[in-house]
Amino acid sequence: MSDEEILDLFFERSEQAIVELAEKHGSAVQRVAFNILGDAEDAKECVNDTWLGAWNSIPPQRPAPLRSYVCRIARNLATKRYHANTAQKRNSRYDLALDELAECIPDSRSVEDRIDARELARTIDRFLDTLSYEDKFLFMRRYWFADSLAEAAGMAGMSYGAAAVRLHRVKEKLRKQLLKEGVPV
Amino acid sequence: MKRETITRMLNGLDDRYVSEAEAYLPVAVQESPERISHMKKKRILTFALAAALILLLGAAAYASWSVHTVRQQELKADFGIEENKVDSYVEYAVPDGQGQGLVLLSAVNDGREQRVYVNISPVSEEEAAAFPDKTRFVWCIEGTEIGGFAAPQLPVELSLSGTDEIRAAVMEHAYDKETQTLTLQGFLDVNMVERAMTELGTDAVPLAVQMLPEDGEPRSFGPVPFALTGEQSRVFDFGRAVYHDEELDKDIEIIGLELTPFSAVWKVSYEGAASFHTPEADWAAYEPWSLLEDKICIEAEIVFSDGSAFSTGGALTTPYKDGAVHLTCGWGGAIDIDDVQRIVLGDLVLWERK
Repeated sequence: MSDEEILDLFFERSEQAIVELAEKHGSAVQRVAFNILGDAEDAKECVNDTWLGAWNSIPPQRPAPLRSYVCRIARNLATKRYHANTAQKRNSRYDLALDELAECIPDSRSVEDRIDARELARTIDRFLDTLSYEDKFLFMRRYWFADSLAEAAGMAGMSYGAAAVRLHRVKEKLRKQLLKEGVPV
Repeated sequence: MKRETITRMLNGLDDRYVSEAEAYLPVAVQESPERISHMKKKRILTFALAAALILLLGAAAYASWSVHTVRQQELKADFGIEENKVDSYVEYAVPDGQGQGLVLLSAVNDGREQRVYVNISPVSEEEAAAFPDKTRFVWCIEGTEIGGFAAPQLPVELSLSGTDEIRAAVMEHAYDKETQTLTLQGFLDVNMVERAMTELGTDAVPLAVQMLPEDGEPRSFGPVPFALTGEQSRVFDFGRAVYHDEELDKDIEIIGLELTPFSAVWKVSYEGAASFHTPEADWAAYEPWSLLEDKICIEAEIVFSDGSAFSTGGALTTPYKDGAVHLTCGWGGAIDIDDVQRIVLGDLVLWERK
């Protein structure tokens, strides 16, 4: 079933919409949730909450592309849960991804004083525009989808070492870009 | 707190980057944004001329061509093989009729990778449309554990975002409904193929393609015997030219350039280069050098006789071997390596035709 047809079901308030959405995009949503939470039970609950989030927001929204939209809901829910859980249980994969990125992002005090997360996101949007597709792919898979570097490398058909070097170069470029834009790193 | 800020920042990234990363599509990789765009017009024009020729031949003539011949013509035009005099591009004899299974169309060796283009059939419309959500393709060399991802072959200029656009492009450009044929590309690492040749004791390895549906049994196409094709390259010796970067205040030696119609290897050297290209590298110390490496690949211009210029784009890999860092770059459409007149980096002329 196409995304358009699934959206039509949502607009008709047919519960079949959730069934079709889960069938078509369930594995991608599950992957994002599990990558961030690192726990199958938590991920399952997050996926169910994602379907509820979609049900509550469509209509009025008619998102395109639909997959990005539901992955984003899942990511938002998973990261909220992750930060709430973080004192009790930590997921080393997402921790590692955040730590890697923290090396080239301003420290919290500077962020609060000088730039907020939304502005920072726009800065990084502009930075992503300057990257090759391959570099963008690695960056997004590692930090947005929270895939392991080995998984991201495998998806891009490159060796772990090559992906590690490329990602390192991307981070260095990002750090330089942030400095250029006056963001203290 | 900082973790939460980074999480919020990531959550705020534009949807378009998320959708672009949902599935890996090598065709989009081949044209980086740094690439100088004048080459594109020439290729689009060639592609349009080939399409017009097919139309001129008329429906009857078209029908007498097999889907394999048609795809061969399209690929050759899209890559700009003839106008760029690419001798290393090999086209295989294809069946007159439909044929089934795995049909080799063409191949070109870019030095690092053996690019192979094939048709597989029968592939139902539903199966083709399941890429990239529910189906993956892999190439493999039977009798070995060597293989990698394959993907539908799309025109090199296409820029796509999201799985729906990818699916639509696959159905329009890579799938032939009438003959249930899907055209794929596979980038085979040359070293891996050589390893398979040694393992199997043969020059022609059994190349197969597998279709891996998420919900269903894998399906194999082939194998067909495949031998590495010849490489066409040109070596430019810069006599260890030294480039001084004012901003970084660093000197880097640019030793030379190995150029093929689809790829380049810049050879450079600088203080401590060997230590930076190991897993234990001091990343902070490497930072200015990595920027300088990028600068060479992206900002150096290869100038042709018509005055147009080409940039090799950012390096895909940067191994250190034989006393130099090898900055390897690749792209989708061919360039004419015999027509190079000059290679420059800013004011520094690295090479000039005498």
